[in-house]
Amino acid sequence: MLEVAGLVVALGGREVLRGVDLSVAAGEVVTLEGPSGAGKTTLLRAIAGLVPAAAGQIRCGAPAGLVFQQHALAARLSARDNVLVGGLGRIGFCRAALRAWPRPMLAEADGCLARVGLEGLGARRAGRLSGGQRQRVAVARVLMQRARLLLADEPVASLDPENAAAVLDLLRGLARREGRAVLVTLHQPELARRIADRRLRMEEGRLWPL
Amino acid sequence: MIRRTAWVLALAAVYGACIAVVEPDLGRLWAGLPRLARWLGGAFPPDFSGFDDMLRRAAETVAIATLGTTLAALLALPLTLLATRPVAPLPALYHPARAVLDTLRGIDGFVFALLFVAAVGLGPFAGVLGVALHASGSLGKLWSEALETADPAPLEAALTAGASRAQAAVVLLIPDCLPLLASALLYVWEATIRTSTVLGLVGAGGLGQELKNAVDLLDFARVLAILIVIVALVIAADRLSAALRRRLV
Repeated sequence: MLEVAGLVVALGGREVLRGVDLSVAAGEVVTLEGPSGAGKTTLLRAIAGLVPAAAGQIRCGAPAGLVFQQHALAARLSARDNVLVGGLGRIGFCRAALRAWPRPMLAEADGCLARVGLEGLGARRAGRLSGGQRQRVAVARVLMQRARLLLADEPVASLDPENAAAVLDLLRGLARREGRAVLVTLHQPELARRIADRRLRMEEGRLWPL
Repeated sequence: MIRRTAWVLALAAVYGACIAVVEPDLGRLWAGLPRLARWLGGAFPPDFSGFDDMLRRAAETVAIATLGTTLAALLALPLTLLATRPVAPLPALYHPARAVLDTLRGIDGFVFALLFVAAVGLGPFAGVLGVALHASGSLGKLWSEALETADPAPLEAALTAGASRAQAAVVLLIPDCLPLLASALLYVWEATIRTSTVLGLVGAGGLGQELKNAVDLLDFARVLAILIVIVALVIAADRLSAALRRRLV
């Protein structure tokens, strides 16, 4: 589902990724470990199209969605509105500006919230949810995006162990049950062992198998 | 030490240049003081006769500020989106939009009102147009700064989901920053109330019109009464705006 070949990314004149090769298959969970500043976040951002590649190729066989480290939710918007943001690419500007969401999209957003275990919390402001619930809303948003490739950047860094395990189980379940490909960066090896089909380590912009 | 001396000399040069341009004459101030004292003495007690007219003019002042600020918001919104880097749909228009905001902000509402009095005639309508243009520049600047300092991550999430920058701004960024944007709007309304109290000096309506009439007639008891109403109005607007802003942010 994802093929990366010889990827080089330079930021501020410094090569952050130095020829990265990587593949992730449908239904597979691949973890990226490594010290801060190794280039893990940059790799995910490059795959998501947020950072330009200086050289190399990124081939995504399906839409990719990024789950950010700090969930990246609009705190004043409801959980449901945050999930609907994942569907913005499918409606026009006027409909979006008037918040005239098509009924099927509203039902789909509620369905995404239900799949991450947040049924009935759609109307609650994101800022009033717990850390674990917010990260689940972020996952629901990429489901709304209909992403088949889930990129998760330290999705459990700010969560307590119980919530961290729940969010990782959720990601693993999405790979197992729905055949989505998951590429996730993690700091803790024990968490990586818990969900990974394949573990990789990144150091100074290069990837190594673990 | 040399650096400090250089700063002192530079500051002295700036003040020297200012004094050379203004040519302050303490002798003239001294000569004018008895006249000021006579006027001040004549201002007591303040003349509140025709208080209804004053209240009508005060209401006119509030109306000018309120309509002017509303019009300013309508003008500022598209300019703000063009002048906010993370959501600017046309990056080529970023700097021109900023320049337009700076220009509008740089010309006082009083000057705009003067031009509109010549263009559309005397009265509060010219005042509304005048304060609206200046306030749109101030508001656009405050709004674009509020939006640019917002957390960029939700915006990036929307962009990776295929949203356009304009969609992301309208659906996500603006609603999320609404308290800050509303607070800026109230702040500008409060400043516009202050500006609107003197617009009458150029024939653009409001309490300033009454003030000009009283000054022209050297009726200082009336001038003092109008100044008291102006101060009361400005304090009331400040308090109301501050209370609402505290609730918002």
